[in-house]
Amino acid sequence: MIAGKLVDLRAPEMGDLARNTRWINDREVTQFLSVRYELSSAAEEAWLRDVVSAPMSFERPFFAIETKDGAHIGNTNLFDVRPEDRVAEMGIMIGEKPYWSRGYGSDAVRTLLRFAFDEMNLHRVQLFTYSFNHRAIAAYRKCGFVEEGRRRGARYRQGRHHDFIVMAVLRDEWRLRPDA
Amino acid sequence: MIAGKLVNLRAREFGDAERNARWSSDRELLALTGHRYPQSLAAIKPAVRGYASEPLSHADPRFAIETKDGVYIGNIRLSDVSSDDRHAQLSIMIGERSYWSKRYGSDAVRTLLRFAFREMNLHRVELYVYATNARAIAAYQKCGFVQEGIRRRAYYSRGVWVDVIVMSALACEWSEEAR
Repeated sequence: MIAGKLVDLRAPEMGDLARNTRWINDREVTQFLSVRYELSSAAEEAWLRDVVSAPMSFERPFFAIETKDGAHIGNTNLFDVRPEDRVAEMGIMIGEKPYWSRGYGSDAVRTLLRFAFDEMNLHRVQLFTYSFNHRAIAAYRKCGFVEEGRRRGARYRQGRHHDFIVMAVLRDEWRLRPDA
Repeated sequence: MIAGKLVNLRAREFGDAERNARWSSDRELLALTGHRYPQSLAAIKPAVRGYASEPLSHADPRFAIETKDGVYIGNIRLSDVSSDDRHAQLSIMIGERSYWSKRYGSDAVRTLLRFAFREMNLHRVELYVYATNARAIAAYQKCGFVQEGIRRRAYYSRGVWVDVIVMSALACEWSEEAR
């Protein structure tokens, strides 16, 4: 278990299945994710079984986010981890909407960054987010992410194309922060 | 076959494997394309056989680049094609060095863009290029690509971290006549 201030990151378990399936089919949640299509519980189960049955490793760090009271509220992960470049991309979902905008997501991001930089020895963590997801962009900035670019019209959601914002944080920059 | 001015784009064939293996041992070329590890002919053959056996489709358009004389000089493809977003990523390699800096690559890029916008009905084609590859960046700009961002120190090669430039061309900006 990796301890943050408001949340802990733990390995995913099969017991997470019902919540994951509910979140991934909640359009209010997925409007901000790359998920577009509905997902059956069988498909979600097959995916989760695959994730939980291998020991977590450098290639696929995937965590459940729990509050200090043990409530599972979302997931966060690193993917496309490239050992030569020491770069990874991160994703996060707070599926339990009552926990939105209360610092849980930011704390999970900070905790994941600390693990990525101090344990996995990565040098850069990057992410993409929709230009309309102002809350997420502000939160990522607070966590040390810098906007590096704007992929014009790269994603189509809800009737039109949106820019996809490129953000990243480098370990050298992050180490200078008080929350590092 | 998709005809450009200097080159044609054709489907990949089994016979491409030998040249691909030769290109794969060119260290300078590898550093430009991000293919770090040289690949054996034995590893390349089944890969080429794999995509040469499948009909070309929206999902994975891969082409061989041939001069008008029929010389096979490189490969070009679209990857990560998103049907919903109508968006794809372009990558190109001119493996035959004697054809570098002679506009064959630019012509291949233009020809593929025309196909992407006018036949595949994509709305956006993007690419990533290392900041150290000034020749490629200039060529992409000539073809209508616009720089959208810099992924700082995202690529490690030859002992240093290199920035990765994000570029794209949009169908609504692109006009064949102007190119």
